[in-house]
Amino acid sequence: MEDPAHLLVVTAVVAVATFATRAIPFVFFNTRAPPQILSTIEKNLPPMILLLLVIYCLKDVQWLCAPYGVPEIFTITAVMALHFWKRNAMLSIFAGTGLYMMLVQLDVFSILFG
Amino acid sequence: MSQQSESLFTSALKTTLPVFLGYIPLGMAFGFLLEGAGYHWIYAPLMSIFIYAGAGQFIAVALLAAGAGLTEFGITTLLINLRHSFYGLSLLEKFSGVGKIKAYLIFALTDETYALLTTTKAPDEGSKGKFYFYITVLDHSYWILGSVLGAVLGSVLDLRLEGMTFVLTTLFVVLTIEQYHASRSRFPFMAAMGAGIISLMLFSPENMLLFSIFIGTLILIAHERFVQEDRDIGNIVDQNPDQEEIP
Repeated sequence: MEDPAHLLVVTAVVAVATFATRAIPFVFFNTRAPPQILSTIEKNLPPMILLLLVIYCLKDVQWLCAPYGVPEIFTITAVMALHFWKRNAMLSIFAGTGLYMMLVQLDVFSILFG
Repeated sequence: MSQQSESLFTSALKTTLPVFLGYIPLGMAFGFLLEGAGYHWIYAPLMSIFIYAGAGQFIAVALLAAGAGLTEFGITTLLINLRHSFYGLSLLEKFSGVGKIKAYLIFALTDETYALLTTTKAPDEGSKGKFYFYITVLDHSYWILGSVLGAVLGSVLDLRLEGMTFVLTTLFVVLTIEQYHASRSRFPFMAAMGAGIISLMLFSPENMLLFSIFIGTLILIAHERFVQEDRDIGNIVDQNPDQEEIP
């Protein structure tokens, strides 16, 4: 068991560092307006970051060995198809997650890769 | 609770449901890890309340195990969470005029909360601050709850949760499609694909998100400059800077 005081200090340091990263833009542009170039890309940040978060979620997928990311790609394709078709967020999210859990827990694609 | 704020709360509850399903197993994994490293369970909620950063907390446990110094904790956390600075950049306008809760909204801005806030419209424009607050505080409490569950029960339960955190991936996929429908420009998606693939190839998985956001932002700036110049030279009649990408 470690020294509890040490863990409290570590928690404080990590908490302050985390809050700093979140507060930086608000502190910087609290009184002055962000430069024109920033406010134009500001609008394009959310779509870009959301797609990057999708890619980030796939960062640990082993593309070069079985099952070659097939469960992930298969589920994402299904979710995209379902969502473009029905536009029902809850349906897409839960059907997709259920499908993925089934695919990995039952190891459905193992037949494909012998 | 008044009728109106009740429906705001219910609406926020529905919106955050996927995050609930994602944060419970992720939070449990964190609590389990911390408890496994030999710490009393009480530190799990303590860290989840005051730090509240998924990747940041996992790495903190790893650094604790490695016996890192305080400077290492500080610098590593700054680098891991630097992406959040980009999030705030696109929320400056949304967060203006939300009142006293603004500090908390900034404090509790995670990947998932950012995704929900930038994609969901408040049902009633007048109380957007309240709606944002509900979403943020609900996500935060799921994370705290998950880490407590993990630290207290994680070792005795045998849940078939494998694959459940994929709910966050599907959430991001759905929110990306919503952004696709809402935004007139297709360029951000192309920038994301380019920056994402470059970063996956060049950087370690832990670092790829920050670098890809950085590269993607540079691509957006370059594009903006290029399009701006184009417009100045050609003096195109089109008044709306967002419209040139419409197929």
